[in-house]
Amino acid sequence: MDFELSEEEKAHRKEFFDVCKELEKKRPPSFVGIEAIFEVDECWQFHLDCAREFGKRGWLALAWPPQYGGSGTMMDKVLFAEARGYHGIPGVDIFGVQMLAPTALQAASEEIKQEFLPPIARGEVMWCELWSEPNAGSDLATLSTTAIKKGDEYIINGQKTWNTGAHRGDWGFGVFKTDPAGRKHHNMTFILLDMKTPGVTVRPIPYIDGEAPFDEVYFDDVHVPAKNIVGQENEGWSVVNLLAGFERSGMTEIMATLRELEELVEFCNETKRNGKPLSKDPLVRNRVAELACELEAAKAIAYRIADLQNRDEMALMDASAAKIFYSELGKRFAFVATDIAGPFGQVKQSRWAPMQGALEKKFQECFVTIISMGTNEIQRNIISWYGLGLPRMK
Amino acid sequence: MDLRFTEAQEILRKMVRDFLATECPKTMVREIEKSEKGYSPELWKKMAELGWMGLVIPEEYEGMGYTFQDLTILLEEAGRNILPGPLIPTVISTFPIIEAGTEEQKKEFLPKIARGELIITTAQLEAEGTFDDSGIATKATPKGDDFIINGTKLFVEMAHVADYIICVTRTKEGSTDKGITLFIVDAKTPGIKCEVIPTIAADKLCEVRFDNVAVPKKNMLGKLDAGWPLVEMMTRKGAIAKCAESIGGIQTCVEMTVAYSKERVQYERPIGAFQALQHIMANMWTSMETGRYLVYEAAWMESEGMPCAKEASMTKAYINEVYKDVGQWAIRLHGGIGTSYDHDIPLYYRRSKSSDTTFGGTDFHRELVAQQIGLK
Repeated sequence: MDFELSEEEKAHRKEFFDVCKELEKKRPPSFVGIEAIFEVDECWQFHLDCAREFGKRGWLALAWPPQYGGSGTMMDKVLFAEARGYHGIPGVDIFGVQMLAPTALQAASEEIKQEFLPPIARGEVMWCELWSEPNAGSDLATLSTTAIKKGDEYIINGQKTWNTGAHRGDWGFGVFKTDPAGRKHHNMTFILLDMKTPGVTVRPIPYIDGEAPFDEVYFDDVHVPAKNIVGQENEGWSVVNLLAGFERSGMTEIMATLRELEELVEFCNETKRNGKPLSKDPLVRNRVAELACELEAAKAIAYRIADLQNRDEMALMDASAAKIFYSELGKRFAFVATDIAGPFGQVKQSRWAPMQGALEKKFQECFVTIISMGTNEIQRNIISWYGLGLPRMK
Repeated sequence: MDLRFTEAQEILRKMVRDFLATECPKTMVREIEKSEKGYSPELWKKMAELGWMGLVIPEEYEGMGYTFQDLTILLEEAGRNILPGPLIPTVISTFPIIEAGTEEQKKEFLPKIARGELIITTAQLEAEGTFDDSGIATKATPKGDDFIINGTKLFVEMAHVADYIICVTRTKEGSTDKGITLFIVDAKTPGIKCEVIPTIAADKLCEVRFDNVAVPKKNMLGKLDAGWPLVEMMTRKGAIAKCAESIGGIQTCVEMTVAYSKERVQYERPIGAFQALQHIMANMWTSMETGRYLVYEAAWMESEGMPCAKEASMTKAYINEVYKDVGQWAIRLHGGIGTSYDHDIPLYYRRSKSSDTTFGGTDFHRELVAQQIGLK
């Protein structure tokens, strides 16, 4: 057992960090928390600029096969995530780069791969996910938005919801019922569509904090070329599962929290309360140290996942465990940090806000990772059923 | 990076696992708990034949010359099965001899330890119960060719059967380098009185009183007044070792609970079919798995000789809490039977408390972490 990176990996890691450190200097001050890219125009622009920069360097196609412009390994991908997380740099489209690309590489036709992968690799086309519906969340298979084939087109009608960044995305991928009379799990298709297609209406949903990172999307006779699918017609459910299997290690989130921890330590060293710096308060020391321990544990299991994926091994249980752990650690961090900051923990970005308003954001945004990508309760089901072999809920 | 164990390490793991499964069943663990000695001399002899006590002792002193990482694999399996006795105190007490012992001391002690002929333990804690140097009041004062030790040590593991005790003493007051000196003391020296303290895990933690105990100067371990780094080293290595043992125990708690939940039927179905219980077991597994790679990381760093005081403390602080929490859930998910003395699960729960206090409790290590992450 050896945690040491190879010389090559160390060199790559350094390059990732150097580039992200430089990009951090250009980051707009309004960029507080990753959701800002969907909420603030100049942050979205920064996201696009970073994406182009990474695209030029080939970093959006890490671990892809060379014939599609790929280079590097799964480990490189994780090291890149470390650098972006620590320096708070967007530029990697979670939907296009992290979800669709690996799914398409395994399940799409050659034609689809040739058409859609290169723009993703160049950072030119941004994607969104059309997954949940008002009546189909965790139990996605009960979705009802239809895509009925007519000639060489699908005609989509219905509604999707909780679509993060749908108002920003150029293209969307989603699952739609293509055989409403067909049997469950064999009646839907994984479809790619241009978000500018007539009949698509995107309406923002205000999040807890009043910002609008996500949307609901309405489809009214939306015509989509029938060739724009991944996997077989009516077999979209297996593509959904494939996509869900491309678990991420959570390294970006973990490193972002690590950076916030460093800032929290600084805040405690500099801020006086009851006549002494917060850092001298044994209770504060204990609580912050506890977070540091948990962050190290999160990092260790992220490396475990990276190591498994680097050898093309399944990381299903570990990925679920890591997701539960780092997302709930984000919540614990938010609670402890806002507690320590006292009344200032509630202040939005302004001259009264400590840590540039990061604490308030963390308190309100911690649900994003806990609920999305399969809620933590679903992750616990995955561990129970597929990992521990406990009886499945009927 | 390759987070797999080597083939040789997997063989070591399997050897330890198989050996303990046959040689140290739970009936024996309970007998040992109730026994006066607190270990089985027959089992100790067999362990010595397999080279366990000499695992990390260099080959030139009749040891196996294995790495610290190898040791943690052995200990993980020991924790998985439960292995009562002086293995951890002996092995951890061996490190300062390897690191700071004179050639004469190494030749005298290491081969005998490797052969299983010597049980050795370390006496550090005193009335304050802290792992900080401030808690050390026991004095050693020079007199002729000897040092005279006076003081009372507490929670000295297996001291009642130890042949030698490494005693942590204060030899200088108000010194910047803390003025701590270590001595290898023959446990049969006149003036030593030993009494077993009754504890949760019946792991024979002792009060050892030193009343004008004369120790030859040649038995000083390391330099006069400059022994504190050796104690820190023992605490660090011991903390990681204890965590390796704990992660083995945690794994057994998870495995036994999952297995039981598949067998036990209530409301016409195995209780493991209830989501209320499934999610608790998923949490137990998550705690175990996050803790496991933290332990492996710290063990790897220590094994490679990298500075890892921060990681060792982070690991100990984390694992302390995980073991207790997983242990209590294991009992709860077993229901009434889990609280029965004759059931195996409480054996682990009780050890979660002794493991927690050994080599530093959660708050002690969190304070060390606080210092390491830059809290002024």
